Order: sequence, then structure tokens, then C-alpha cells
Amino acid sequence: MAEQSLASALTALLGADRVFADSAAREAYSRDATPLFRGLPEVIVAPHSTQEVAEVVKFARATKTPIIARGAGSNLCAATVPLNGGIVVSMMQMKKIIEVSRNEMLAVVQPGVSTTQLDDAVAKEGLMYVPDPGSKTVSTIGGNAATSAGGLRGLKYGTTKNYILGLEAVLGTGEVIRTGGRLVKDVAGYDITRLLIGSEGTLAIFTEITTALTPRPKSAQYGVAYFNTLADASIAVDAIVSAGILPATLEFLDNTCIKAVEDFAHLGLDAQAGALLLFGDDGNSESVAKTVGAMADISSSARGVRAVTLAPDVAAAEALLYARRCSLPALARLGSMSILEDISVPRPQLSRAAEAIEKISEKHSLLIGTFGHAGDGNLHPTIVLDKDDADEVKRAEHSLSDIFNLALELGGTITGEHGVGSAKLPYLRAKLGDVSLSLHHNIKSVFDPDRILNPGRLGS
Amino acid sequence: MSSESREKFTQSKLDRCISCGYCLPACPTYQLTGEEQSSPRGRITLMRALQDGRLPFSDEGAQEQASFCLGCRACEPVCPAGVEYGVLLEEWRDITWRGRKRPLIIKALFQMVSAPWRVQLMSALSPIARKRKSSTDIHLALGCFERRLFPKVSRAVAKLAPNISIDPTQGCCGALHAHNGDLEGGKALAKKLGEKLPGTILSTAGGCAAHLSAVLGQERVQEFSQWWSGNLKPMIRNGKPIRIGLQDSCHLRNGMGVFKEPRKILAQLGEYVEVPDAQGCCGAAGSYSLLRSRDSKKVIAPKVAAIKELGLDYLVSVNPGCTRQLKSALRRSKVKTKVVHIAELIALGP
Ligand SMILES: Cc1cc2nc3c(=O)[nH]c(=O)nc-3n(C[C@H](O)[C@H](O)[C@H](O)COP(=O)(O)OP(=O)(O)OC[C@H]3O[C@@H](n4cnc5c(N)ncnc54)[C@H](O)[C@@H]3O)c2cc1C
Ligand code: SF4
Ligand code: SF4
Repeated sequence: MAEQSLASALTALLGADRVFADSAAREAYSRDATPLFRGLPEVIVAPHSTQEVAEVVKFARATKTPIIARGAGSNLCAATVPLNGGIVVSMMQMKKIIEVSRNEMLAVVQPGVSTTQLDDAVAKEGLMYVPDPGSKTVSTIGGNAATSAGGLRGLKYGTTKNYILGLEAVLGTGEVIRTGGRLVKDVAGYDITRLLIGSEGTLAIFTEITTALTPRPKSAQYGVAYFNTLADASIAVDAIVSAGILPATLEFLDNTCIKAVEDFAHLGLDAQAGALLLFGDDGNSESVAKTVGAMADISSSARGVRAVTLAPDVAAAEALLYARRCSLPALARLGSMSILEDISVPRPQLSRAAEAIEKISEKHSLLIGTFGHAGDGNLHPTIVLDKDDADEVKRAEHSLSDIFNLALELGGTITGEHGVGSAKLPYLRAKLGDVSLSLHHNIKSVFDPDRILNPGRLGS
Repeated sequence: MSSESREKFTQSKLDRCISCGYCLPACPTYQLTGEEQSSPRGRITLMRALQDGRLPFSDEGAQEQASFCLGCRACEPVCPAGVEYGVLLEEWRDITWRGRKRPLIIKALFQMVSAPWRVQLMSALSPIARKRKSSTDIHLALGCFERRLFPKVSRAVAKLAPNISIDPTQGCCGALHAHNGDLEGGKALAKKLGEKLPGTILSTAGGCAAHLSAVLGQERVQEFSQWWSGNLKPMIRNGKPIRIGLQDSCHLRNGMGVFKEPRKILAQLGEYVEVPDAQGCCGAAGSYSLLRSRDSKKVIAPKVAAIKELGLDYLVSVNPGCTRQLKSALRRSKVKTKVVHIAELIALGP
């Protein structure tokens, strides 16, 4: 359907204040946080209720128009770039926190609520919403659920998939379903909630989400260890977990990242070190002190260690966490474009992955800074380049495929937490194999028979 | 008005943005609409489309966003990549509002401050601080609109700081121009004022201070609360210390990083209460409240409700535009809290 008639039909359906089709609006929604990908939607709609979402989906189905659910558009895998045009459904008008239940330790929210808004709201009840992606101030609970977002405390607490109890969702048919609910235990039927988590808007659009909460920890402590290489830091991480310690936080940065962060934020980091390991835990103060002390001890006697210190106060701890959180933007300042990757490997393979990434960077003469959630085996090698240098862009593409192959060889995956979207779709077959891919395809047909939900992505 | 205008954005400044979206929750216009095109990231995406020719500068939707933006720069301190949004916006308005396309109200305002004698005329009926020369190297900048609307502010400073020089023949600092699509003109006026007032320039208007420091260098400019160093006694009214809140000046906070200083002063003067979202724009935004009065009122509405709830004696402002905006919004809603400039409150005495 032509843009104009699409827009006028949708306007007739929902009212003019819900529909945008002018050039500026379409341009603004042509991108997300992923570099290199761009595509214009024909129209943007901003529904205010489940009913309105269902009407848009029915309309899209009747007209065979692609429909892309979008939260804050902070994903890093081009999951919301309208490469096939169509309708972008912005969930940002549905941002009510419907309920926080202290005795059931759960919250019910609309999908446009941001991760931080939810955590702040439940903090008033002494509770915590655990998953804390680096993007938490921006990203929405709907987007987090649709990508099963991770964060900085996945090792001890798990990721988004461990905190979604139930969903209300609109299927590709326009029908509304409810999955899961408020129960701690419920095995009646397939676990459709879990199937929908991480489905990247290809199976259903979430309109209400019930999340699990935990008691807010009373205290937290952090420390930092410097090593000669990222591989040395990786070995220390493996030693810590092997010693039976399961801390909230084990994050690391390589020398390229340390230097970039230090240049940018002046935190007094050791810019000579090959790697920085940030360790920390939360809980009651005695057990925290014990765990953090044990991690400091293990690090102190690990291979290639340079120095170990504990953060003396909250401000120092905040500075360390900030160093980790600002790695990406700090790296991004070094070039006109940066491509952030997200491989994950079994923890014992972490040191090999770290060494191999360094070799890949040399082989393609590229600047690659690596940071990541070391405790989860999740690495973010980030290529920094000049976007106008065609040769460098080509070399970057080659290095990406080397990085993905590396992850698979080590028994890992092409994306640990950012998702597949369009950016990683070409590598999905290598990870899943033919049978699993065709199962994906068939599952998609059941939820979305006309294949209108985020087409060209998972399940295509 | 300068004839030298730009054709394009500074590419390296556009390249800085990594489209992460961290700026979205900080942006008042995005908070109002929830629409990407009225967010900082969305506006930068638009600038990129304009730069690459995918959209013409005349595009209505794009022009609307250049105008809807408050220019409050709340998107800057939260940006991890250090994008200089304020500069990009000035460039954008410089290109789109050039010459005839500039809104009529802005043209009229430019005219009012186009020469020092006109600026003096603005305060012809307002009793501002009198001319005075001092041996120190500190000169008071008399904001054009502050002279006209709030002459008590300069009188308060004159009383509190007997050692500063005051010269009413000075002209406009050019902030108005820089924010409204005349970058070169804005710079030229700032430089002229810098020559007229050699040494340190003391400013009572956050917006002027930030513009002057961007052009002349931080070392030349001190905003009043930054400069004040005296000790103060609590003000007691009806046997109790007064309850005081603050509205930050956007450019002072986001452009110059000054926000602790006024709070420190107010904590000495009485019971300081942090107004919710004190750092968020009040909607005055320079000429914005005149150009887009409906949007401006929408921006301030939640603030008025919050201030009413707090039952403050005084709400302190550090910029004349904010003072005007807050005064009229509180009056409309019949809130009793008095709005004053920080220097006026200090000058009232214990
Ligand atoms: C600087 C930075 C740091 C980041 N750090 C992390 C991190 O530590 N861990 C991590 O996991 N991710 C991280 N991310 C990636 C990103 O923030 C997450 O993927 C996040 O979950 C996306 O949320 P969103 O609201 O922006 O969703 P969007 O980007 O809008 O959408 C993401 C996907 O969810 C789908 N979707 C959105 N809303 C709905 C809905 N209501 N129903 C159905 N589908 C929907 C979309 O179709 C799309 O497929 C980071 C991103 C940036 C820019
Ligand atoms: S926070 Fe900065 S880098 Fe991120 S989208 Fe906004 S302007 Fe761009
Ligand atoms: S200057 Fe203010 S209104 Fe404009 S984009 Fe930045 S935060 Fe939004």
C-alpha cells in the first residue's frame, strides 16, 4: 500500500494523534543504536492500549504490511531498522507501572516502562528488579524481554529470562494471549513465556509484562585487579568461580579500553596494565566482605597480576562501575564509527578467546578494544574505524566473521545478550544448524501465519 | 546581522553521536511526546539526513523539530560520547533561520538589542544599579532583559559587592543571537562585550554566562553563585528558617557545570529543599516561551504542581528568563511562593 493510503487508513483506525508519516518522523525511525543499518518505515504508529496494538496488527495482516515493534531503539543488532519498510509500532506511549506487589515480589508493567523506572519504583518497597543492561536508563522492559537482555550481575542473578513471570501479547493474527502469570510454580502447558522471551518482535508484541523481583541487597563492595593481559585476567576469573565463589560482578577491560576510558573520564586507572578486572558482590555486609576478600586473594596470586585494591568507599566503587559502563562510548571517541560485538564462550575458554581476538586484530590491522562480562564468558570486542575508509570497513567485516567462527569453535555463541536482529542473521545458520533453523521457521508460522511481525529476522 | 552563514554542520561533531539513546530520558520535549523525532538522538538523525541531502533544509517536519527543541542542553551531561548538541543546534538554526526565515518575534528581539544605546533604552524606566568604577578587575554584565524586567537584581549585586565596576553603557552579550540562528552575530557581540568589560565578567544570568564563557573562555567569566564566597546567616521568618527551593538554569548547569554552588549558598540561608526535577528545563528557554508559548506551558506544568506541594517560601532562580517564566506560571496557578534571583535573596539579609 502506498504511504499515504497506509497512513490515512491507520489514522481512520486510531486517530491522527497516533499516526506519523511525514518525512522527518520516518527519517527519525529509520535507525536504532546499530551502525551501518538504515531503512525508512512508511508510517509510525504509537498505540495507547492493547486493543489499539491488536487493531494495528489486524490491519497489517489484512494489508500484508511488515510491522516492527519498537521500544527505545537501543538495541545493537539492527532489530528495529525497517529494512522492508512497513509500520513501526512505537510502544513508548504504554509506560504505566500497573502494580508493584511487595508480598508477591512482583511488578506488572506496560512495555514502554524503562528498566531504571521499574527498578526505582520497586526500590521504594525495598525490592530490586535485577537485570541491569548498560542501557538501563533508556531501554524498555518490552525491549529487554524481547532480547532477553543481560547486564552487569548475570553470573549470580541470571538475565531477563529469569525475571519474566508472565506476558500479555498480541500474536501475528491480532489475537491477544496471556502466558504465565503471578505464580512461582505453574507447569500447565508449554512454557510459551520463555519461548517469547528473546523472540525479538518476530512472534508477538508484548503489551503487559509481569516481572519477578528480589529483596534489595543491603550492601555492596567492589575491588579492582590489574593484569598483564586479558588472558591472565580470564584465568583469574576461572579460578575465582572454580573456588566456589559466585559473585554478582566480574567484569573486565583490555588495555585499549583502559586507555580510552582513562583519557575520557580521568578515573586514575592504571593505563599501563594489559587488563583490568572489576570484581564485586552484594548482599549482607559480612558475606560481601568475605566474598570480595576471597576474590582479592585469588587475584593476588594469579598469573600476570600487577596490583589488587579494594574500593574504599561508595564513590570509588561508583567510579569503577562507571569505568566499565563507559567503555563503549569511550572507545567510540577514537574513530568515526564503532562496531560492537557480543560473543559468549564457556568460561574456561575465555583466555583462549581473549588471545585469539588480539590475533584477529593484528591480522586485519584493526583497532579492537575488548571489554565484557567476564564472569558470564561474554565478550564485547569492539572495532573502532573510520567509516569513510572503504578498505577498513571491508577488513572489519572480515574480522567479524573471524570472531564469530572463533566463538563457535570454542563452543560459544554469536551473541550472548544483544540479539540476532539483522546484523547477525547471516551467521545464525552456523550456530543453529538446518534442523533448528527450520524449527524456528515453523514456530514463526504458528504465531504469525502471514509473517508480518518483524519480517526478515528470526524465523524467516 | 552577519552575512556569513554556514551551509553545513561540522561533520566531526555529527560523527560523535553513536545513537545509543542515553539522552532520551533527559529530554523535556521527548518526555512530552515520546516521539523519536523530538528527542536529541532523533534530531541528530535529522541533522544527518539534512547534511547528506536526504532531507531538504526546508523540510517542514525538520524545521518544526529545530524550533520545538528548547535548547536546554539537558542532553549533554548525560551523553557518554560527549556530543556537543548545543553547538549542533546553533548551527542548525543558523542554517534554517537565516535571513528572512527567522521568526518575527526573534527579529524584533534582535532589533531591541542591536546597539548599546537601544539596550540602555530598555532600562530607561527601570532603576538598575548606578554606574561605578572600582579598582578591582571585576565587571558586572547587565543582561539586556534583566535590566528591563528585573532591575532589582543588579541593585542587589551592587549592594553585596561594593568592589565591582558597573558600566550601563555596555551592549548585549549575543546569547540571544547564538541561540536563534545568528552564530556569527552572537560571537561578535560577545567579543565586543569582552573588550568593553576587561578582566573578569560577573554575570547574574546563567544563559549569558554560558554564552560568554563559550566565546571568551571560562577564565573570563563568573556566574554570580560561582563567584560569591561570603558566609551567610539563616533567614528567620515567623520564628522559623525560610524554606527555599531552586530552579537550575539549563545553560549554567549543562553548559558550565555550575549547580552545586547555588545550592551551597541556599543551604546557608535557610531550609533548602530540592525541587523534584530542578535540573529540568522550566520551559522559558530564552525566547522559547514567546515563540512557543503553548509548549512552554506544557513543560512547566508538572513543575508548578511539584512546587505547590512543597510549600516553599522562596523559589530561587539564577537566570532572568526562568524568573519570568516561574513568576507567571506560579501566579496563574495561585501558588504563594515568591520567585527571586539568588542575589536578591542574599541582599534581603537575615
Ligand atoms: C550503550 C549500550 C549499552 C548496552 N548494554 C547492554 C547490556 O549490558 N546488556 C544487554 O543485554 N544489552 C545491552 N544493550 C542493548 C539494548 O539496550 C538491549 O537490547 C535492550 O534490551 C533493548 O531495549 P529497547 O527498549 O531499546 O528495545 P528496541 O531496541 O526498541 O527493540 C529491541 C527488540 O525488541 C523488540 N521489541 C521491543 N519492544 C517490544 C514489545 N513491546 N514487544 C515485542 N517486541 C518488542 C524489537 O522488535 C526488537 O526486536 C546496550 C545498548 C547500548 C546502546
Ligand atoms: S547520548 Fe549522545 S551519543 Fe547517545 S544518542 Fe544521545 S547524543 Fe548520541
Ligand atoms: S536541548 Fe533540550 S529539548 Fe533540545 S534535544 Fe537537548 S534535551 Fe531535548
